[in-house]
This record gives sequence, C-alpha cells and structure tokens, in this order.
Amino acid sequence: MEVITYSEDAGLAGEVAAAGLDVASVLGADAVAVELDEVSAGLRSAGKALLLKGDRTLEEDTDSAAAAIVEVAKARDVRAVLVAETKFGTVVAAKVAARLRVGSLGMGKRLRVDEGRLVLERDAYGGKYLAQVAAKMPCVAMVQAGAYKAADARPQLLDALSVNVGDQRVVTVETRKSHRVESDIKSAPRIVSAGRGFAKKEDLALAQDLANALGAALGCSRPLSSDLGWMGEEAHIGLTGVYVHPQLYMAVGISGQLQHVAGIKDSKVIVAINKDAQAPIFQVADYGIVGDLYDVVPALTRFLRQG
Amino acid sequence: MNIVVLVKSAVDEAELRADTAGHPVLKGAATKMSNFDMNGVEEAVKQKESNGGTVIVVTLGGAEAKKAIKEAMAMGGTRAVHVLAEPPDAPDSLGTAYFLAKAIKRLGEVDLVVCSEGASDTYQGQVGAMVAEFLDMPFLAYAKKVETEAGRIKCEQGFEGGVRVLEAKLPAVVSVVSEANVPRYPTLLQVMVAGRKAIEDITMASLKGDDYPETGMEVLDITLQSANRKRVLLDGSPEEASRKLVEALRREGVL
Repeated sequence: MEVITYSEDAGLAGEVAAAGLDVASVLGADAVAVELDEVSAGLRSAGKALLLKGDRTLEEDTDSAAAAIVEVAKARDVRAVLVAETKFGTVVAAKVAARLRVGSLGMGKRLRVDEGRLVLERDAYGGKYLAQVAAKMPCVAMVQAGAYKAADARPQLLDALSVNVGDQRVVTVETRKSHRVESDIKSAPRIVSAGRGFAKKEDLALAQDLANALGAALGCSRPLSSDLGWMGEEAHIGLTGVYVHPQLYMAVGISGQLQHVAGIKDSKVIVAINKDAQAPIFQVADYGIVGDLYDVVPALTRFLRQG
Repeated sequence: MNIVVLVKSAVDEAELRADTAGHPVLKGAATKMSNFDMNGVEEAVKQKESNGGTVIVVTLGGAEAKKAIKEAMAMGGTRAVHVLAEPPDAPDSLGTAYFLAKAIKRLGEVDLVVCSEGASDTYQGQVGAMVAEFLDMPFLAYAKKVETEAGRIKCEQGFEGGVRVLEAKLPAVVSVVSEANVPRYPTLLQVMVAGRKAIEDITMASLKGDDYPETGMEVLDITLQSANRKRVLLDGSPEEASRKLVEALRREGVL
C-alpha cells in the first residue's frame, strides 16, 4: 500500500512528501515521492522516492505528468495521490482525478484519515470559513505550500520506472522565466506587501527600502502583478496567487479585499498602513497606522535603520 | 466558431452570513456569476466577434443560477444550457465536470470551451481541466492572452516562474485569468434582451450514465474562522506611529 506525492517544485515536493508520510503512517502504507525525468537534488523526505522516465520529457506539460502519475497509481496499490498546489500541480491533480475517476480535494492545510476516507481541512468562502471535506480513498488531494514542513533527510530511492505517455497535445513553444524565485515569498519570515496605494511603479522603491530595513521579502496584491504588471506573478499574494505565513506581514496601501486576506490569514502578526481608516485591512490587522504611506513608510524605514 | 463558455453561480461571500453556531447560512444566500467567470464570458464573446459563430453559456446549478446565466447572456451569449442541480444533490467537481461535458457533447460540434481559473467561492480550479478530460480535448490553463487562428489556439500562460507560450489544435478547452481581458458592462437594453433569450433546462438524470464517477465526496463541516486580531491603531505623527509600531513588533518577537 502506498501514498504517492508529487510536485514539480523541489522545495514543495519535500513538503508534500511530509504530508504523504503523515497520511501513510495512519494507513500503514509507504510514502513515495514521485519524481519525473530526474530526481531533484533538492528533494528532502524521510520516505521513499520513485523516479519515472518517459518516452519524452514528462514535466514539460500537464498531460505527460498526469499520464505518468496515473500509470503508477494503476500499477500499484495507491491509496492517495497528494500534489503540491501550484498552477501546474492544480491541473495535474484535476487530470489525474478525472483519469482515475476519483475525488479531488483542493487547498489542503491539514490532512487526516477517517474510516477509509481522506479528510482535508481547507479555507472556504474567501477564507472566512474553515471546511472539512472528505473523499473516499483512493483519491487525489492538493496540499498548500507551507502547510507541512519537509524533513531534513534524503529519501530512499526505489528502482526507476519507464512510462509511455502518448501523444503531446499541448506544445510549449516558449518559456519566459521571471527573474525572481517564488519561494522567497512562500518561506519568508517577514513580508512587506504593496498595493494600489502606490501611485506609480517607481514608488515601489519605498516598499523595497522598508523591506530591506526589515529583512523582509517584497510581495504585492493582485492589481500590482496582474492589471498593472509592476511586479511578477510570483509576488502576488492571495486567493489566486501565493498563500503566505510569515511571522510578520506588513500590508502597505492594500485595502484588504477578501481575496487578498485569504492568502495572509496565517501570518503571526499583521500590520496595515493605509490612508483610508475604513479600509477592511484594519479589521484583520494586529497593528494599524492610518496615514499616507508616502509619509509613514519613509519614517518607519528611517526609524528601523537607526535601530 | 462554436464556442461554449462555462459559468458558475457562486455564493456572494461578501454577503454571506453565519448562524449562531458559526455555520454559513447558504439557504437564500445572495448569489451572482462567479466574478472570475466574467473574464471567461468576455473571452468567449471576443472570440465570437473576431471569428463569427455562437457563444453557448453552459452552467450547472440550482434555480438561482438563472441569474448568473442572464448576466452571461447580457454580455453576449447566444443561448444557454442549464443543468439543474439543487443543493443536496449538487455534485462535486468531478461530477460537475461529468455533467457539463455530457451537456456539451449534446451541442454537436464545438470548437472552443472557455472557462475561468476557478470559482470565487470554492476556488478549486479543477472543473475546467476535468471537462477537457471528459471531452478528450487539450487543456490550456491560466491564459493571460488567447489567440485562435486556422484551427489552432495559442495562449500565454502565467505561472509562478514566469510565462509559457502554449499551442494546441482546436477543439480545446482554455481557462483564462483576469489579465486576459476587461469584461464589458452590458447596456440596459442588452440586459432586457438577455432576459428573453432561450435557456434550455436539462436534468442530471437525463445525462447520467453507468460511467458516472462516484467519489464519495462529502462536506463534513464548514465553520466561521475567528480572525482573532488585536486591531490596535497606532496614532501620532508618522515618526511617533513608527516608534510605537517598532516597539510593538519587538514585544511580539517578530523583528
């Protein structure tokens, strides 16, 4: 009996492997991290790892990745397929579930086993509610970044398998990588996040200065990455972007729409700086400063620099 | 070009209230077309305007979903198909995709199926990819730019590491994100005309076959999460407020 786990991101593969070990230990099963094309040097897990090699590059498209995972799930006694929730992972999970005709649970913060069912705890309705959702096993479940901690160990390698994945229907013509790495935000202990309160792109230097003074990573709300394109998609925090859980989250010029708040709720301390005293961000903040960010941020940066 | 757009009637989470036990009061709760779906409808209508053809709005939901259908029709839908699913019998994402795909198959030749990246209330992001699987079509996800030409589709996909340019043959399923377009606001006249356009109702029973996937999915509980934040406002000049904030953050041990 096995619980198999997968992520195309080496760091998250370790986290989802930890979730897999958690579930597998209850079932008396093995936790097996599936690696496609090659075993990532960065994979950390106290469980096992299985390398799949395909008739072409498996991680190039979601069809091939899903086909490879489905082949493993069908050939072995697999009780659950756990996938780290990235954009690629979300599509792979949906395809695996559809091909295996099993349930798919998303946005998992915690997983448990209850009478042959996998129960997943997740946010609902923009993060205002917490839901417990169950599916009978075997099933597919997605695990959010940061929900589990990767073990500081190298997995035990199983014998590699070859898989045939069939025709490629979606071709990647070009990949344009952005210069920043998303894990900066996902694992950052402190985050400064910029929103619509910034009037122009150049002014983000103020937020960057503050982030530097705090030793924080810089993130943003959706309008800055999507509509305005001032920052990369990897910096976008919220329901449709990255979920973060830093010790300190400082929202600057962010009004605090539900979609943004969904991604920051698990922060230890939330600070809001906004000139609108009615902004909903103050309702979910521990400390708030009502004021113009163009006055407050430089003052705060100076104060931090002086110690 | 025959285009299908998938929309979902979602609970308006900003209006959702909890009962005294902290459970959401879903019965009679305000609903609307999931806001991400507005980008899906806009993309479908845009593609129709440049390629000609029809836009068929397809949804699965209870009686309240008629409102979402009319919103989509006002934006430019040609006609609509409503798979009726009242709450106790409402299927999970795989079941939803199964019924939507069955309904789409009954429409004859379809060149493009458009959906959004996820629903505003659940945000599972599963149904589009699953519909593609049931229809055996390629799936292009998270498109911020969509081009169709000579039986092919080309998309720019936004992902955590940057942008991928994807290409596939039509028919295909594409999910769009909000950068893809700016949804139009229908005029009053379009809203009135939309109210008179035909909506075909289909029951789940008429679509359900022996191949229906029983996943045993069940929502065990949904309860309000307490925010539990201190909500302390720090006043004074920017310098004074900064000093107070730094002191507070030192006490919290987060600096």
